[in-house]
Amino acid sequence: MKTKQDFPSINQRKADGLASDGNAYRVLIVDDSLFVTKQIGQILTSEGFEVVGTASNGQEGLDSYKELYPNVDLVTMDITMPKMDGVTALEKIMEFDKNARVIMISALGKQDLVKKSLMLGARNYIVKPLDRKKVLERIMMSLTK
Amino acid sequence: MRVEYINPFVESAYNVLKEVLSVEIVRGELYLKSTSMPVLGVAAIIGLAGDVEGRVLFDMSKVTAIQIASAMLQSMEMEPIEELNDMGKATITELANMITGQAVTKLHNLGFKFDLTPPAIFTGDNMEIADTGVEALIVPMDLPFGKIEINVAIRERN
Amino acid sequence: MSNTSEAVDRTQGGEQIREAKQRLGGLHQHQLQEQDDIETVDYKMVTFSLGGKDYGIDILKIKEIAKFAAFTYVPNAPPFVSGVYNLRGDIISIIDLRVMFNLPAQRKAEGSPEDGLILRLDELMIGVVVDSIDKVVGIVSSRIQPPHPIFGDVNIKYISGVVEKDGRLYIILDVDRIFAKDESAPDEPEPLTAAVASKDSGLSPYQESPEVPTSQGAAGKNEEELDLDFIREGLVTFKGFYPDEVSSTWLHRRYPEWRAERKQLGTEVQLTGEEDAEEFLRTFYSPYSGRFWGEDYVEGVKALLPEEMPKNISVWNPGCGKGYETYSLATVLRMRYPDHILKIWAGDKDLLNISTAPNLVFGADIIPTLYEPYLVEAKNGFAFSSQIKDAILFEYHDVANTNAVPNVDIIMARDLISFLPPKQQALVLNEFSDKTSSGALLILGQNEYVSETLGWQHVGSAIVNAYRKL
Repeated sequence: MKTKQDFPSINQRKADGLASDGNAYRVLIVDDSLFVTKQIGQILTSEGFEVVGTASNGQEGLDSYKELYPNVDLVTMDITMPKMDGVTALEKIMEFDKNARVIMISALGKQDLVKKSLMLGARNYIVKPLDRKKVLERIMMSLTK
Repeated sequence: MRVEYINPFVESAYNVLKEVLSVEIVRGELYLKSTSMPVLGVAAIIGLAGDVEGRVLFDMSKVTAIQIASAMLQSMEMEPIEELNDMGKATITELANMITGQAVTKLHNLGFKFDLTPPAIFTGDNMEIADTGVEALIVPMDLPFGKIEINVAIRERN
Repeated sequence: MSNTSEAVDRTQGGEQIREAKQRLGGLHQHQLQEQDDIETVDYKMVTFSLGGKDYGIDILKIKEIAKFAAFTYVPNAPPFVSGVYNLRGDIISIIDLRVMFNLPAQRKAEGSPEDGLILRLDELMIGVVVDSIDKVVGIVSSRIQPPHPIFGDVNIKYISGVVEKDGRLYIILDVDRIFAKDESAPDEPEPLTAAVASKDSGLSPYQESPEVPTSQGAAGKNEEELDLDFIREGLVTFKGFYPDEVSSTWLHRRYPEWRAERKQLGTEVQLTGEEDAEEFLRTFYSPYSGRFWGEDYVEGVKALLPEEMPKNISVWNPGCGKGYETYSLATVLRMRYPDHILKIWAGDKDLLNISTAPNLVFGADIIPTLYEPYLVEAKNGFAFSSQIKDAILFEYHDVANTNAVPNVDIIMARDLISFLPPKQQALVLNEFSDKTSSGALLILGQNEYVSETLGWQHVGSAIVNAYRKL
C-alpha cells in the first residue's frame, strides 16, 4: 500500500486519487473477475485512490453500495456478470442514489450498450483491454465533471 | 458457421493477444473441426446468446496458460504464478472474455446481435465436454508461450 | 469444390505453423512430433504372415478379415484354388496364397478354420488364405521402398513395395496384379504358372495365365480394366474425385471415349498428372458449374419447380463455392415465387471461396441479362440486391460434419458429391434423405446419379438433372 509520501514531490503534482480536500477518493469495484478486480485496484491505489470494497456480481455490488453509502465516491462496474448484470445494477444504484458516480468497464463495446449505460446515468464507459492511462483518464473525467 | 463471423474473431484474438501480451503472434491457418473437444489441458469457455447459440472455447496447455497468465500479471506489476491457481485461472478467463467481448462488439457493428455469458474455466488432462453435433471453427494462434486454439461454434437460431 | 487445392493449402499452413513452432523453441516438441506422425499416416494395410515372412495388403482392397471353415472343393481348378465359399449368399473363390506362391504352408488340424482375407477388387471378390492375420498397420506411403528381388519369395512383379515399421519388414502385395490377367506378356512364363507347374508336373491346364474361377465366372482382369483402375486412382490423387456412389455410371461411359481420344493423340491412357485428370473430367462438369446459370438452365430449373410451395421455402446448397450458382438459384426462386419467404443455407469448406460469396461483385459481362432486375451497382461492378442477398446465408462449413440445416424443400448439390471420399458420399446422401420430406427437389450435377432405392425419383430434363423425393 502506497502512501502519500511515496509520491515524488518535485513536480508538486497531486496524485489523481486525492480529492481537492486531500482525502482519497473511495472506490467500489464490481467485477466477477479476480484478475480485473486486482488490475483496477492496482491502478487506482497506485494513484492514491482507496478501494473500499469489491463485489463479484451486480447484486453484491448493489448491496455493497447501499452499505457503504455515503462513504463511497466512485463505482467501477463490469457488465457481463452472474446473478445480476452490470447494467441492471447500474440502474438500481442510480435509483438508490441519483448522484452516484458509476463507470462501466467491460469487454463489450457495443454501441447500444454504451448508449443505454450513459442514459441510465453512468459517467463513463471503458472498453477492455485496460491500460493504466486509459483507466485514469476516464475516471478523472467523471470525477471532475 | 456464417462467413461474416469469422473475421471478427480472428482479428479480436490477434489484437487483444498482441495488446495484452506485447509479444509476436503468428496466426495459424483456420480450419473446421467436427468436434469441439478441448485437447490441450486448459479450456476457458464463454457462451453466446441472442440471435445465435454457441460458445467460444480457448484451449491451451497448462504450461502455456501459466506463462500467459504470468506475462499478463507481470505487465501490471503483479507477481507471476508458478501453478494455475485462482489468480491464474481468473487471468486466463479474462483474456478469453476480452477477446470474445471485442469480437461480439465488432459483430454488433455489422448488425449481428449477440450477448456473452460469464466465462468458465476447466482444467484437466482428460477433459470431456459433451458437445456433440457441433462444427467448430478453429483459430490457431502461436505465441512464444505455446499455442492457443480458439474454437468457435455458433449456430443460427432457425 | 476445390478439395485438392484446399488440401494443399492446409498442408502449407501446417508447414508454416510447424516452422513457427520450431523457431519459437516449442514447449510441445514431443507432442508436435507425435502429431506429425499421425498426420502423415496415409496408407493402411492389413498384415499377415506367409511362409514365415510378413506381408501386407492395402486396406482399401480388403473387404473383411475372415476365417474360412468349410470350402466347397472345385474339381479341375488349379491347386491354389482351395475351393469356393459361401459368404452370406455370395459365392467367392478361395485362393491359397501359399500354394500360389509355392511357399511352405503350416499344416492346420483337420477341420480347423483357416485365417484369411476377403479382397474386393473392383466388382470382384476373392478370398485368400494365409498363415495368420497379424494386424492393421498404418504407414507413411512415402516410406514405401520399391520392390527388390532380394525379398524374393514372391516374384517382384506382384510386389508393390516394401516398408519397414516398428522393426519389421513388410512386403506389400499388389493384389490387382496378382489377380489380373496379364495379356501383355503371353510368352513369358508366368511365375504363378511356374509355381503351379512345378508342383503339378505340368498337369495344370492353366498355361497362359492364372485364371481364377469366381462367382462372376472370370477373375482375371484385362488391360482395359486395369487401366480403368489406374484412372480411378489418378482421379482420386490429382483431383480428389471419387467416381463411386454417384458418378461411376459416368466413369464407365467416359472411359471408352477417353481411350479413343488418347489413342488418337498417341498418348498414354493413364492419367499422368493433374492436367490429364482435369482433361478426363472435362465432360463431367455440369453446364454452368461454378458460374451464373444461363437462360436455358434457369428455364430448366423453373420447369421443375412445383406449383405449390410452402410460404417459407427452405433450400440447402452444400458445396456452394464462391456462390455463383447459389445466387442463380435464389434468383430463379425469387422469379418463380415472388411472394414467398426464401431462405437458402449455402456452405463450403473452402475458406477462400466462401469468404468472397456474401459480398460477391462481378462484371456485367459475366451475368446474363435475365438477372438484371435483381442487381444493384457496386463499387467495381454489380452485386445482387438485398432481396436476393438477404435470402442466402453463406457458411464456412464442411458437409461431412454435422449439418445444422432444418428440413428443406430443395437441395442443390451440383458436382459436389463426387469430390467426397466414398464414405462421406454415402453419409451425405443419407443426410439429403434425412433433411427432406416427400416431394422435395434434389438438383445434382449433370453426370451424378442416385439410385431409386434411396427414395429419389428421377425427374430431370435434358438440361437439368434432378430428383424428387418419393
